[in-house]
Amino acid sequence: MNGRRGQVFGLALALLLAWLVVYPILIVAGDAAHADALRAFVSRPGEWAALWASLWISLASVALAALIGVPLAFLFEWFEFPGRKALGALIALPAVLPPFVGVIAFLFLYGESGFVARALQHALGLARAPWRLQGAGAILLVHAYSMYVYFYLLTRAGLARLDQSMLEAAQALRAGRGRIFRRVVLPLLRPALAGAALLTFMTALGSFSAPYVFGGGFRLMTTQIYSTKVNGDLALAMVETLALALVAVVGLVLLRHTQGEDLLVALGKGTAPRRRPIERPAVRALATAAGWLFAVLLLLPHLTLLLVSLVPYATWTTETLPPVLSLVNYRRVFSEPERLRPLLNSFWMASVSTAAAVVVALAAGWLVVRRRVAVRRWIESFLELPWALPGTVFAVALATAFGVSKPLALRWVLVGTVVLLPLAYVVRSLPVAGRAILGGYRQLDPALEEAAASLGAGRWVTLRRVTLPLLGPALAAGASLAFVGALGDFVSSVVLYTYDTRPIAIEIMSSLRLNELGVAAVFGVLLMVCSAAVLSIGARR
Amino acid sequence: MLSDASRSGRGHRKVLLPALCSLVLFACTRDSRTPLVIYSPHGRDLLTLFERRFEQLHPDVDVRWLDMGSQEVYDRLRSERANPQADVWFGGPATIFARGAADSLLEPFRPSWAGAIDPHGRGPADLYFAVFETPAVIVYAAQAMRPAEAPQDWDDLLLPKWKGQVLIRDPLASGTMRAVWGMLIERGVKQTGDTAAGFQWLRRLDAQTKEYVLNGSLLDQKIVRREGLVTIWDLPDIQINIRDGLQLGYVFPKSGTPVIEDAIAVVRNARHRDAARAFVEWVGSVEAQLLAARQVYRLPARADLPVDSLPGWVRDVRRRMKVADVDWDLLAVRGAEWMRYWDANVRGKGDGGRGTGR
Repeated sequence: MNGRRGQVFGLALALLLAWLVVYPILIVAGDAAHADALRAFVSRPGEWAALWASLWISLASVALAALIGVPLAFLFEWFEFPGRKALGALIALPAVLPPFVGVIAFLFLYGESGFVARALQHALGLARAPWRLQGAGAILLVHAYSMYVYFYLLTRAGLARLDQSMLEAAQALRAGRGRIFRRVVLPLLRPALAGAALLTFMTALGSFSAPYVFGGGFRLMTTQIYSTKVNGDLALAMVETLALALVAVVGLVLLRHTQGEDLLVALGKGTAPRRRPIERPAVRALATAAGWLFAVLLLLPHLTLLLVSLVPYATWTTETLPPVLSLVNYRRVFSEPERLRPLLNSFWMASVSTAAAVVVALAAGWLVVRRRVAVRRWIESFLELPWALPGTVFAVALATAFGVSKPLALRWVLVGTVVLLPLAYVVRSLPVAGRAILGGYRQLDPALEEAAASLGAGRWVTLRRVTLPLLGPALAAGASLAFVGALGDFVSSVVLYTYDTRPIAIEIMSSLRLNELGVAAVFGVLLMVCSAAVLSIGARR
Repeated sequence: MLSDASRSGRGHRKVLLPALCSLVLFACTRDSRTPLVIYSPHGRDLLTLFERRFEQLHPDVDVRWLDMGSQEVYDRLRSERANPQADVWFGGPATIFARGAADSLLEPFRPSWAGAIDPHGRGPADLYFAVFETPAVIVYAAQAMRPAEAPQDWDDLLLPKWKGQVLIRDPLASGTMRAVWGMLIERGVKQTGDTAAGFQWLRRLDAQTKEYVLNGSLLDQKIVRREGLVTIWDLPDIQINIRDGLQLGYVFPKSGTPVIEDAIAVVRNARHRDAARAFVEWVGSVEAQLLAARQVYRLPARADLPVDSLPGWVRDVRRRMKVADVDWDLLAVRGAEWMRYWDANVRGKGDGGRGTGR
């Protein structure tokens, strides 16, 4: 009886997810099946160029992010040097710079008339700025900066799970250092590295802000979809959306293939290798200096944003540093209630969507891990899918699916209501919440729940008093990531917002449009501080 | 389940607490006035001005505006067709309104001042009416050159001295730039009977262009910071920026400039139709026309305003500006196709300051 009810719940959840995640994409696919639009897509070299650019930019982003993140992870996990702990935390900071805001900060920092370029220009006595921040190079710079964190964090986590005894065994078998690294360390790290690569690839493929601001004529598929849509060619935009989705799914399948099994790591229950202090004073000093320099470099965009938020309108032109600083922009934001509305909007939408995603993930965890329902693989795949599809794709799909009233086809008009944007956030949060909470469930010993049950606790009491507290860290991690993602979201919002739901990122964009750079930066700073606070709560064990 | 989760997951409770607070705040700040939602590219200065004044006149209406590019307004209205959120579409070239009319996005409404508008500023079947005239101008960095040194006409932008100094607002999402592009292409059609001449001209401009900039305000910033020295933009924005202290100058192109019929319309199936109509009626009133002209540099579209009531700058502009003769109907029909062609085949193909250091 009980088992059957679990099966029914499982089926219901799978259907709900299918409706929310898969169905809109299928509708887009149906709409894209216009012969004219397909022909236009196939015959235009610009479309293929954009698709190809999306692909190679994403692959290059993976390579660059790995190049920065992996060595850093080894440095911080294997060696001991002064300031290691503080630096190790600082280095994850790009994670709290929301995408759109981060791009604007880059513009003011490394842009042609930004601090760095201006300073160099003055120092070297150049007639013009030493470089331009535009095109593929600029996009890759932003991607490398914001995405190496995935490699850094995941590799560190992988290294922390490494078993010292395996390394010792290899050593005892007279394997050299290089050989140990190649044959023992790397294979053990493979799941972590593949996971990071997958995450970076997907994020880069869906990246919109950087190509939107720096791309110019250099189109990626995300910006191509946007401009086709703005130019009024809806059918073609659908084909483009579908093409991008296909690339994403192929990428997901290929990269999944290289991820391998988690088995090897699961075997190790020993202790991780101890950190080696760097013995030679010169090397230690060098490593420390390099570490701090790097941290400062990583903090520069944050500081830039703070500085720009203090610059009153029209006072900063050709000087290297702004001549006047004041709090006038902050006063403006906080003195007009209408300006705070986007802040409230983002907060309530992020809260509601996070709560919903967590509830779905908890239900999924219980059904998949505990009940092991028949459709569990389906549930897991549906939870993961939004992660593989760029935000633009989902936003367009949701807007299309819920832009008409066909109750029999399970389509209602949600466009223009306050529901649609939070719904999009829920969908976008499912993968992070799902991963964290399913992972948490898997590490949970069922014996504890059984013990509670045998002591006479009902299902709710068990859930409240045993399961949820044990899931605490996983819940906090998943929820905080989901919350921060929704709080700073730009990609889905730009397609789906309404007056009542306009979020912070949209307010930043329109402040920029309205010549209020300082105000835009104030919102950026607020967003940054909130994200950092929430993430630090989530990371606390 | 939700409350259970919040009670035990400690980190989670901290996330949920601000959530509940913001929800409560959100619920409290609603008011009982009729909301009037306006989609508009006109910018904060004009919209705030009009919001305050209109709310004074209609205390029962709460004016809410969303600022976005005029092409974005069109796109948004279309995707919200099943459940329109906007009541009024305020601003953008009549050519884009014409597309909106063709897509049945607008609702007929004939304001009392309709007769005072030039016939080509009136949409078919009373679907939209021009309320302002917005000329495009050539803009330059005032600190970098004397007015006489600035380009005086469109063709001057192609002079070697401006190579790599031209910045252009990304024309796809901007009504102003689409109108300028349209005029330049249509000019070629008039001279040669074919669009090739216009595209060739734009290709040469592309070769001069250093960068296509995301929005008008970043464009102004870049000009003031002298990342580029000349650009094309609309007169009201530039005048407001000059008033606010940006070091910019402008020139009316000698051979004539496109003057956009900046229109207004009630959105089809608007939820607050009466308020929308009242707003449209008011925007074209003598009071609002003069208010916009005096405070935010909009050229009134009404031809029946007494000349001596207009501010000096309006008379000055009307004297100095030469209006280009543009076939707006042709633009409305073929504009999208031209822009698509430009985007795919001209943008970035002239190899200006970019790429190889030729």
